[in-house]
Amino acid sequence: MPQPVQYRGMSLIIPDNDTEWKEFYAHARAHRLVVRKCAACGLLRYPPTHACPWCMALGWSWREVSGRGTIYSYEIVHHAIQPGFRELTPYAVVLVELDEQRGQPTPDESLRIIGNLLRPDLTPEADAEVAIGRRVRVVFQDLADHLALPQFTLTDEPPQGRVWRLPG
Amino acid sequence: MKTLRDKYCIVGVGETEYSRASNRTTRAMAVEAVRHAILDAGLTARDIDGMLDYQGGDSTLANHVAPDLGIRLNFYMDVMGGGSSTEALIGLAMGAIEAGMCQTVAIYRSMNGYSEFRIGGTGARAAQPVRGLDLAQVPFGMRSAGQNFAPTFLRHMYEYGTTSEQVAHVKAAHSKHASQNPKALLKERVTVADVVGSRWIVTPLHLLDCCLETDNATCVIVTSAERARACRPRPVHIMGVAGRVSKPRLDFHWAHGPITRVAGYYAKDIVFGQAGIGPDDVDLTGSYDAFTFTTMLQLEEYGFCKKGEGGQYVGSGVIELGGRRPNNTSGGHLCEGYTHGMSMVIENVRQLRGTVDDYCPKAAEGVHTYDYAPGGCRQVKDAEIAMNLGWAMPPLGSALILRR
Repeated sequence: MPQPVQYRGMSLIIPDNDTEWKEFYAHARAHRLVVRKCAACGLLRYPPTHACPWCMALGWSWREVSGRGTIYSYEIVHHAIQPGFRELTPYAVVLVELDEQRGQPTPDESLRIIGNLLRPDLTPEADAEVAIGRRVRVVFQDLADHLALPQFTLTDEPPQGRVWRLPG
Repeated sequence: MKTLRDKYCIVGVGETEYSRASNRTTRAMAVEAVRHAILDAGLTARDIDGMLDYQGGDSTLANHVAPDLGIRLNFYMDVMGGGSSTEALIGLAMGAIEAGMCQTVAIYRSMNGYSEFRIGGTGARAAQPVRGLDLAQVPFGMRSAGQNFAPTFLRHMYEYGTTSEQVAHVKAAHSKHASQNPKALLKERVTVADVVGSRWIVTPLHLLDCCLETDNATCVIVTSAERARACRPRPVHIMGVAGRVSKPRLDFHWAHGPITRVAGYYAKDIVFGQAGIGPDDVDLTGSYDAFTFTTMLQLEEYGFCKKGEGGQYVGSGVIELGGRRPNNTSGGHLCEGYTHGMSMVIENVRQLRGTVDDYCPKAAEGVHTYDYAPGGCRQVKDAEIAMNLGWAMPPLGSALILRR
């Protein structure tokens, strides 16, 4: 089993038998964002799960996605719970809706993924820049030989829909 | 729809002191809460033959609690889980009795939620390794309940124009109620301005939008309506129950929207269907207030107002004592103390008995002044039907309807 990765005071553990995440993070370390594609119905899913939530088929393959998307919702953490995040406050956590498979297979469903909003150099983005509707792309934060975290950074693409952030 | 309406009752309720330094074990607290509930029901240890409890690796199991009180069990189960377990276990107790496995079930929750295992994820919990599904959120500094729920709350503000000030009325109302509750940890009334002026924890949650981590144990006792007639207090009948109803993609509910929809969307038809009533028939509610927003989201999802109008609804005065349908008359998790939902069921049982433990001199005899000034009464006059809206997280909830 690989050694736990120490990151901001947390032990991140991806054991050899972790059939959901191990390859996901190996791809991320090669700076590819991948999701699972069902071999039967072709729908993409995140997080990585063993069966297809729409057709229950077990067959799947990894499929690389563009890593481009829109901020669907967010939060600014002012009071960190994990001690290793205290020096980062305030920091932004974003819920990103990826461009692939938006509104499918039902209008309410989409590929959405959680990350921090960072500058391209992986330092925290100013919280005044965070808003629903703003466009982002994935960036990768390398943590170990077998592990990188997918994170997000703002792009200069025009926003998607109404841009809104919490006043104040 | 299948229903066991009015066939089962809650006959005993009890709790320990609400504190932030219990200085004792969860075993000791659980034993005391169960004992209080047995005495409240007018029963003895021999009358209890079923036990259910819930916890998250932070408490004592039933096989240690029952023997301390001399209880021999025909059925017990220790369940993993937090909020929304209360109502679910009341339903399971009914099922166990209906199946003939046992006759009377004590349900408890005991936790040193401040002094030992803080709910917010600090203390012992913060040191746990991150693996499996936690990898999708925790490495990004998203671990506590508030951090896990905040994008749902914020998206509600985006979609419906809900404001911080509207939602702050939940805390103001519950603080008003707590000022009439001798047990409450926070008895001081606060204003909307106090809430929105308090420091940010995680947007859109201010400090005073968040509940109070607490050391406490609680217990409710469920038995059949026939047995309930032999118990000391006026029986409180269970009209309907829905337990741990979930949205699709409970693993990662962000994948299935609208993310502003909460589990009550699915639970409401189950619980109202069994009870044969609708929201207008309910006299008071216990809508889980881990945060101000959770109360608001559930009240609108269960149909007490239209979806999206929860902000206006909670700001209208309707949820305050003296209003049309008071919510969390004990002060709830925001002010009385945090018990993972149990205390809100206990409060509603006492309300339906007419014996809420407020500052009225003859409260225990059911004599109340109905003067809702600070330090006064918190009994709802002629309360007949009460509802609990249990919350675990946006995609998971439970519900319970009780009548006197």
